[in-house]
Amino acid sequence: MKPQAAPPSLSIIVPIGTRRTADIGALYREYRTHIAATGATHEFIFVLDGPRPEARRALETLLREGEEFTIINLTRNFGEAAALTAGFERASGGTIVTLPAYPQIDAADIRKLLASLSTADMAIGYRSPRYGNALDRMRRAAFHGLVNWVTGARLRDLGCGARAMRRQVLEELDLYGEQHRFLPILAMRLGFRVSEVPMRQSAQDRHARIYRPREYMHHLLDLFSIFFLMRFTKKPLRFFGMLGAATFAVGAVLIAYLGMERLLFSEPLADRPALLLAALLLVLGMQIFALGLLGELIIFTHARGLKDYRVEEIIQYPDAVAVSDSGSDSAAGEEGASSEMRASNPPAITA
Amino acid sequence: MSDAKSTTRDDNIDAAQRIASPNGPALSVIVPLYNEEESVRPLYAAIVQALDRLGRPFEMVFVDDGSRDGTVAIAASLAQRDSRLRIVKFRRNYGQTAAMAAGIEHANGEVLVTMDGDLQNDPADIGLLLEQIDAGFDLVVGWRHNRQDKLVSRKIPSRIANWLIGRVTGIPIRDNGCSLKAFRASLIKRIPLYSEMHRFIPAMASIAGPRVAQIRVRHHARRFGESKYGLSRIYKVLLDLMVIKTIASFASRPLRWFAILSLPLFALAFLAFGQTAVDLLMEGAISLPIAGSGVIFLSSALILLCSGALAELIYARGDVRDREFLKLTQTILAGTRNPQADRAL
Repeated sequence: MKPQAAPPSLSIIVPIGTRRTADIGALYREYRTHIAATGATHEFIFVLDGPRPEARRALETLLREGEEFTIINLTRNFGEAAALTAGFERASGGTIVTLPAYPQIDAADIRKLLASLSTADMAIGYRSPRYGNALDRMRRAAFHGLVNWVTGARLRDLGCGARAMRRQVLEELDLYGEQHRFLPILAMRLGFRVSEVPMRQSAQDRHARIYRPREYMHHLLDLFSIFFLMRFTKKPLRFFGMLGAATFAVGAVLIAYLGMERLLFSEPLADRPALLLAALLLVLGMQIFALGLLGELIIFTHARGLKDYRVEEIIQYPDAVAVSDSGSDSAAGEEGASSEMRASNPPAITA
Repeated sequence: MSDAKSTTRDDNIDAAQRIASPNGPALSVIVPLYNEEESVRPLYAAIVQALDRLGRPFEMVFVDDGSRDGTVAIAASLAQRDSRLRIVKFRRNYGQTAAMAAGIEHANGEVLVTMDGDLQNDPADIGLLLEQIDAGFDLVVGWRHNRQDKLVSRKIPSRIANWLIGRVTGIPIRDNGCSLKAFRASLIKRIPLYSEMHRFIPAMASIAGPRVAQIRVRHHARRFGESKYGLSRIYKVLLDLMVIKTIASFASRPLRWFAILSLPLFALAFLAFGQTAVDLLMEGAISLPIAGSGVIFLSSALILLCSGALAELIYARGDVRDREFLKLTQTILAGTRNPQADRAL
């Protein structure tokens, strides 16, 4: 599968989904020009997420014109995260770049994205200055505020499709569904350093967005799944237990109140609908709690395969002389070792 | 000093494969470190000094839990001069349980000793722990004598927690919060540690039925840095305890656990239906809230039973089994030796 020649240093993956359509040919030429200008060897991989006859024709025309790139055609729409994964499986570069399939950012700024990889494991673009009306801005601020609050990250533009990352990042991530949006957050969770790079917004992208209610719903559900994944994967009972205990407590209080009224004021219990509500709450609380226990059982029985942590490196010098007393001259070895340490910025997240 | 460095930069080091080799060290000391730049050097010196006196081969595994200060640089400089020191550096801060789990995974000794990195434990006590291991115990837990911590924020909550943990797990550990512990590697390497289980390692290990010894250890006041834990949130401990209880006593028969949960609901449903039947016979009319409650209780009890069945399915498909734990601690009192069974561990 790997090419015989030396692998390129950049693999550019362009997932082509349903969302927006554009002139792929023009887009490809623009991307290629600006990436070639950086002087890096590169390969392009287009992933057609389901049948996209128009894009496919455009790409095949380019192939006939002598351009070289890979096209992967998925049989149905698997989602952008899956498309990225499919592209990555074919990619041989040490650096993986994902680019949007419609003009979203100014391709000249891809250079900045690559440059910031020298101090980070992953760089994602954010459109700046960003055009849009007040409603757009409000919606974006609300979404990102919510995401940042929930995950502890500080990100500005999760919708930007331009990202560059070391190969290792994608190797370790296990993406599915719509998680591409949260790629930087998932990477941070694994301890990778993520930096945001301002990119000029493409002229064709400067228009107001109209979203259907369904899309808002999807965003919120995605957010919830990320929230759950980050906070409670290893401790489901923390989540279900809290929810269940709260429900149970409300039911218990209600029952106690009804019981008191019955005993002290002889208020008849039998014809009060509140009794039904109390019973329902008690039972619901128990059910939720039981779900949490089920979750814990799943985690426990699979605990061997789950690893809570990621090791960055193991430092040991097998040939070093064992020094029995170290207190006296311990300052001597310090310079040598610290020079090979990697400077690392702590990731902005502590989930 | 040698320049030959073997700094591996590998991110998915599968250390589960490392099995204590016959010529490996007898003892591994595991220390999680988080922002302990002042403590690292004295800690190292104290460990080396204490263990050299014991005269058995040992190694040290320092786990850096994503420190943001000079901890790793200092530890690396120590490692450069001592081949017995291994540093496992995390990519970010993952918490003490993860650090302990990583240390246990990357240790090669037959006996593993864990201790805190803040110099509050005294490495000179390691010898006492080892004596107990040699005496045949699988797990030796230290308890801090004359504990040097704040009374209200640290000591009283931990006393309550210890009492609770003892009641629930049936293993009365005096001091679950003391990190100074010794384990047989074969035992602790098989015990899943995740989430925030470091407080409950003895309780978690209890699923294997270990022989537990407790000994008094010294406890020093914090010399450097800040204490990393405040008043631990009680609800977390309670829920974790609930989990451990479930796992320790019911993991292999979850249906029973859920059946017990559903019993009171069945009882309530029975009462409600009984009342309804009586009403119907005596007065010819029923109370809708009471009959409705009966229906709710009954259906909920049934759903709980179904959850229990689901739990059975999960357990049957999981890869953690009761029978592997019993092998860790069993003794063969009589019978012929079966080399195959001995090797199975």
